[in-house]
Amino acid sequence: MNTTKISYKKPLLETPFHERTSEHCYSNDWYRWAGYKVAKEYSSTELEYTSMRNTAGVIDITPMHKYDIKGEDAKNFINKLITKDISNIQSNQVAYGIWCNEDGMVIDDGTIFCFNENHFRIFCAERNLNWFSDTGTGFNVTIEDISSSIAALAFQGPLSCKILNLLQVKNIENLKPFHFDSYKIEHHNVIISRTGFSGDLGYEIWCDPSQAIDVWDNLFKFNRDYKVLAAGMNALDMVRIEAGFIQPNADFMSAEQALRPNRMRNPYELGLGWLVNLDKEYFTGKQALIRHKEKGPEKKLVGLDVEGDKPAVGSVLYDNSKKNIAKEIGIVTAAMWSPVLKSNIAIGFVNKEYYKLGSNVYAEIYHPEELDYRKIWAECKVVKKQFFNNPRRNAIPAFI
Amino acid sequence: MKNFDVIIIGAGHNGLAAASYLSKKGKKVLVVEKNQNVGGLAEYSDSLNCVSPIIKKELNINVTNVDKTTHIVSLEDNQNHTVLEDNNGKLSFLKTNAEEEDQQKFLSIINNYKLFSKTLGSFMFQQPPRVKSGKKSDLFQLISMGWKIRKLGKKNMRELLRIIGLNIADDLEDNLSNNNLMGLLSHEAVLGTNLGPRSPGSILTLLYKQATNNNIFNLKKIEVAEYIKQLEDCCNKNMVEIIKSSEVKKILTQNNSVTGVQLTNGEVFESKYLMSNADPKTTYLNLLGAEILDTDFIRRVKNFRNKGNVAKLELVLENEININNIDKNMYGKFIYAPNIKYIEHAFNANKYNKYSDNPCLEFYVNQNTISANVYYVPYLLNSHHEENKIIKRCVSILSKFIPEMKIAKQELTTPNKMEEKFNIGGGHWHHGDLEIDQLLMMRPFYGSSQYSTPINGLYLCSAGTHPGGGLTGINGLNAAKKVIEELK
Ligand SMILES: Cc1cc2nc3c(=O)[nH]c(=O)nc-3n(C[C@H](O)[C@H](O)[C@H](O)COP(=O)(O)OP(=O)(O)OC[C@H]3O[C@@H](n4cnc5c(N)ncnc54)[C@H](O)[C@@H]3O)c2cc1C
Repeated sequence: MNTTKISYKKPLLETPFHERTSEHCYSNDWYRWAGYKVAKEYSSTELEYTSMRNTAGVIDITPMHKYDIKGEDAKNFINKLITKDISNIQSNQVAYGIWCNEDGMVIDDGTIFCFNENHFRIFCAERNLNWFSDTGTGFNVTIEDISSSIAALAFQGPLSCKILNLLQVKNIENLKPFHFDSYKIEHHNVIISRTGFSGDLGYEIWCDPSQAIDVWDNLFKFNRDYKVLAAGMNALDMVRIEAGFIQPNADFMSAEQALRPNRMRNPYELGLGWLVNLDKEYFTGKQALIRHKEKGPEKKLVGLDVEGDKPAVGSVLYDNSKKNIAKEIGIVTAAMWSPVLKSNIAIGFVNKEYYKLGSNVYAEIYHPEELDYRKIWAECKVVKKQFFNNPRRNAIPAFI
Repeated sequence: MKNFDVIIIGAGHNGLAAASYLSKKGKKVLVVEKNQNVGGLAEYSDSLNCVSPIIKKELNINVTNVDKTTHIVSLEDNQNHTVLEDNNGKLSFLKTNAEEEDQQKFLSIINNYKLFSKTLGSFMFQQPPRVKSGKKSDLFQLISMGWKIRKLGKKNMRELLRIIGLNIADDLEDNLSNNNLMGLLSHEAVLGTNLGPRSPGSILTLLYKQATNNNIFNLKKIEVAEYIKQLEDCCNKNMVEIIKSSEVKKILTQNNSVTGVQLTNGEVFESKYLMSNADPKTTYLNLLGAEILDTDFIRRVKNFRNKGNVAKLELVLENEININNIDKNMYGKFIYAPNIKYIEHAFNANKYNKYSDNPCLEFYVNQNTISANVYYVPYLLNSHHEENKIIKRCVSILSKFIPEMKIAKQELTTPNKMEEKFNIGGGHWHHGDLEIDQLLMMRPFYGSSQYSTPINGLYLCSAGTHPGGGLTGINGLNAAKKVIEELK
């Protein structure tokens, strides 16, 4: 078939799970992610969110970019790429890291799987082949984009381990957070990592695209007792905000994509200073980061506990309870009413004077009400970004 | 182990100029040169119009002109050659079949270019200002650049800004009708660059040439070997240690600072200050290693265009050489680039990494020897030059003008061979293209201008820095001044 001729009919690629995701997707509302379509919402975002917080939700994360780094310099390459030191990483361990440009501005974050000293795999949300290849100059490594050769599901929620256990995935409860291993689901070889975006117990399952449908079906096998739901991007966004995870090109502009230099952010501004190890001999951006650290961030991404129940989406932040004399001191990048916490939460940038925990700032919320906006001046308290962090997340053995 | 204040990698003329200056200032200097002889690419240079007064003064170089008058002969297939005489920079026609009006216009174009390049010239011998440095001195220099351009007057300023990005062919065709004259000026504009007469920026390279050589035509007024020898003598007098036939393999660093060099034989020399006369790309990617450079910076290094395209042809004949239709007393620099179209066609092949069957030539004759620059002979990445074929083509062109050619010896040095011999990536005349994005404060690239590098104590001093190639020695001198500043 000549695909070029009908490309206008099928502008987006379908993931190996599409046969199932399209069945579940009543709304037929797709989100465009790296050239693929994934569901924004299957039927009800709230329900999908609830499955992740109470039972388990399945999210198609196949469009995630995946890069294989192989060769005798693989570890040195990673150490040059990311800001933290992974010299001591062991096989089957997962590292979370960020990478910056020469000005110390964050390009992207990702999880880095260590298969062995000479083989790593990086998962990230944005395309990075160009950056990785240029970073690899001078190293004895091969960098390969293997994105389309692996199908991936996030399986997140308090019952996720239980269901894998019921599927007789051996010893899954003893897989430690930020570790991965090879397992079998039915007769399919899969890689399962105890990682995810929900801030709760959860896994990510990596398999060959040919097995995708089978693996998917297995996760729903016990649905008579445990209501596992397919969850869309909107629901994922809710859990990641609660967990305080930030997202490139949502909470900050990737330094590789920002057009305006003053939109780029350094790790200290994003509250990711803990991922930077300035004692490491060399990595891209080190010299700049030494200066950034010395100077301290001008603004910082913080958590906000917002008064009332109207989400402060896109709100501008001010310094004063009195609107008429208030000065702009920040902006909200993500906001929601958190059902599980029963509170109105947000993530946003605030200026230097306000990023201390406990500071008070004010959000002007434009709340849409039947073709009109209600303007609300809401007090916000600066809090930790990590609003939701259930002990289940790190318990070993995991809850079954 | 001996300790040196500064180690210089490479004894090209720029390395020698840097060593001379540093040693005159009382610094202990070591120069490591890969080859048996010093001078680097100067080995292939025949034309040297002048040595800049700054070099003469600062290094006590005292070279005298061979001749006050020199000739430029532009060869034509129909043997109606044009001969120009340069008398102390003043040009006149000795012979031509161009109309009187064309001759006048030709000279007036050159005068115009000279005027514009004076504006450029004042920046040629200084450190270029650095972009975004925040320093007052850099800002001041930028402003003064702008002011100098403004001072040309409204009409001339407008003309300069019009032609600065223009291609030379357009400007010549607007003003002249004689093909040979147009070919001649185009030749001077594109020789040693990666441009054809129709490439944007080919006027700028000509202005640039005028600014660094003090002449649109680079002529043989000074013996290159004599100049190099004086530079070496100056080093020797000031106790510079020059190790020849030794190659630096690695620049050693610790914590983003230079600690020394390691030679291919394993020997290590320590110093906190290093200057590299190797080209920027080789310095960063091979000698230093990309592993310790920021990724964005590596991108700029890799994107630096440094594919050379001039080969050197040395011919020794059994007989004395006579050129058709030219008296012996008119001999000088011979050019075979008969018209714009011819040069552009030769350039076309170059675009696709091929060489044209009809190359352009610039050569000097000395009794029974010919030393020629042949272009475009591109640096090849994945294939080899058919050298005999290229030589044959050149000989067949030359034989149009030289009735008798009994060849006793022939040798072609391609850019690939130059790279091999001197470690100059791409074998490029200027160690990197002279184009607007690789000039002045952008030379070689952002983050490495003003002779400095992201590594503390490492400096560049090669033709890859401002003001580019040619035997100016300015790169070396400016870089050395920068090191002295830092050493204080
Ligand atoms: C064919 C040709 C003809 C030319 N004709 C003219 C002309 O007529 N007039 C003119 O003005 N200009 C001419 N040029 C340009 C001019 O020769 C060069 O721009 C100039 O010589 C560059 O000088 P440099 O000192 O910067 O570098 P180079 O002369 O290239 O010197 C670099 C030196 O460093 C050494 N080196 C490099 N790496 C190492 C290492 N790892 N260890 C030790 N040593 C090392 C090399 O061996 C070399 O000696 C010509 C160029 C070419 C290619």
